[in-house]
Amino acid sequence: MQLPVLNNTPSQAEHGAKSGCSASSCGTTDNQMDSLPDSIREKVQNHPCYSEDAHHYFARMHVAVAPACNIQCHYCNRKYDCANESRPGVVSELLTPDQAVKKTMAVAATIPQMTVLGIAGPGDPLANPERTFETFRRLSQEAPDIKLCVSTNGLALPDAVEELSKHNIDHVTITINTVDPEIGAKIYPWIFWNNKRIKGVKGAKILIEQQQKGLEMLIAKGILVKVNSVMIPGVNDQHLAEVSKVVKSKGAFLHNVMPLIAEAEHGTFYGVMGQRGPTPEELQDLQDSCSGDMNMMRHCRQCRADAVGLLGEDRGDEFTLDKIEEMDIDYQAAMEKRKVIHQAIQEEMDSKRLEKAVKAQQHKQEPKLTTRPVLMAVATSGQGIINVHFGHAKEFLIYEASPEGVRFISHRKADQYCGGDTSCGDGESVLQLTIRALAGCEAVLCSKVGYEPWEMLEAAGIAPNGEHAMEPIEDAVLAVYKEMAAAGKLDEKNEAVRANA
Amino acid sequence: MAVSIIDLCVNCFACEPVCPSNAISEAKPHFLVDPKKCTECEGDFPVFQCASICPIEGAILDSFGVAINPPGSLTGIPPEKMAEAMAELQSH
Repeated sequence: MQLPVLNNTPSQAEHGAKSGCSASSCGTTDNQMDSLPDSIREKVQNHPCYSEDAHHYFARMHVAVAPACNIQCHYCNRKYDCANESRPGVVSELLTPDQAVKKTMAVAATIPQMTVLGIAGPGDPLANPERTFETFRRLSQEAPDIKLCVSTNGLALPDAVEELSKHNIDHVTITINTVDPEIGAKIYPWIFWNNKRIKGVKGAKILIEQQQKGLEMLIAKGILVKVNSVMIPGVNDQHLAEVSKVVKSKGAFLHNVMPLIAEAEHGTFYGVMGQRGPTPEELQDLQDSCSGDMNMMRHCRQCRADAVGLLGEDRGDEFTLDKIEEMDIDYQAAMEKRKVIHQAIQEEMDSKRLEKAVKAQQHKQEPKLTTRPVLMAVATSGQGIINVHFGHAKEFLIYEASPEGVRFISHRKADQYCGGDTSCGDGESVLQLTIRALAGCEAVLCSKVGYEPWEMLEAAGIAPNGEHAMEPIEDAVLAVYKEMAAAGKLDEKNEAVRANA
Repeated sequence: MAVSIIDLCVNCFACEPVCPSNAISEAKPHFLVDPKKCTECEGDFPVFQCASICPIEGAILDSFGVAINPPGSLTGIPPEKMAEAMAELQSH
């Protein structure tokens, strides 16, 4: 079905930068894909990591076949392995290519919404070319209905482009934190290059050159490139808008700016040295300032290198090596089933997209509010609806409602990277931590809220709302916004509120 | 004359393919160097290849038993700062 496509014109983009509303996601047509050419949208519409829309429906998995790395990043510690820890570079069980193929097929048969297999570490996939490419080669033969993708630091990328294009990998993510070697030296202490460990600016310069060369080569081959950047306040935060411009001009189609995760207990350079990560507001401001130039991704969960499931969940425990050993998978039958399910999901997504476009049109014709924007948190487990009990939410999606419409901003973890152990943290209960994670939001929409959290939320100035259970997220957020406006809660257009939000 | 890998090794595989003498192999609980095969890269490279890619400080020792990558040399974290952070964490 052909759907209306919004053009990302400069005038809209300028407007977006000023009002804090990005051009690519204004109104309830809210979708980062709207400004993309159809050919690209076609390729990413069922890829949860590349399409905000798709991530409500489709699942992904990573197989940890690539342990070796050829660089050191200051936000990474190669010693770490914790089952309760969820961040890139962390895995529990390293797999051989053979085990990875078995696991992938077991997951694909059990979770038919799983459309994408990525290799993301725990080291750098392209620093482990034999293990990575054997996995890809076998999967492209044995499970041809699974999309393959890879993420890399880029150092070995130019040498791998030819091989990547052979395996039908049409999505590659490069982590590019800088295009300036001086800044690079503050992020990458060393690289291994031409049989030597090269430190400082010299090493960073080679890495940057390889990343840019690899990006250009991928684009020349017609491979889609997403660029990931870690936002490190005081190091590259002022510089990432330029990175965004550079990679866009070379043909990258999506930029994912992620917050630095740095805690002393991770034993990373940044963690131990007390480098802080950005606040949600700083991250949002940077994403907004880049969005005039570039398609921004905001739904990344910075998942583990062995994550399984929808982006907000991890079902890795169901597919440990001993468990998959016992599973008997008929992949032909599974493929038939997967096809039917994918088609049904696609139809549902298409009809919802059309519905959204119609509603956006209606919204435009209604008299425009002059109220200030409001952040709201939503508890969902997928399908684009409000369907999770407040107390069960592991994460919340954050939406901004404004006179322009509703747009997706980010997600926030409810349990602070931890397994939900009440003894964790400084004596704060999980509930207190969750409420703190929602700072800046003025309402939280979920299927139900218990008595105790209800009172605590109200005390924290966050209106609990269980009246929109099973309703589409954007509709519910807009309805609550209109109620707040009608009740006179949003009277003056107060810019300061968003700045503090 | 041979280097050795000790129990700080995290089994990341990085050293195995870069060894010019095929002296390194996967083993339990960690990778090992075959001292009969290790040439310390003599004649092939001016620096130890395994220790040039190894990300873990102290995991590879030279033939005198001295860490080729001493604490702080790879992560850039000054050892006293690391000790401070660890003490801080343990006091909780």
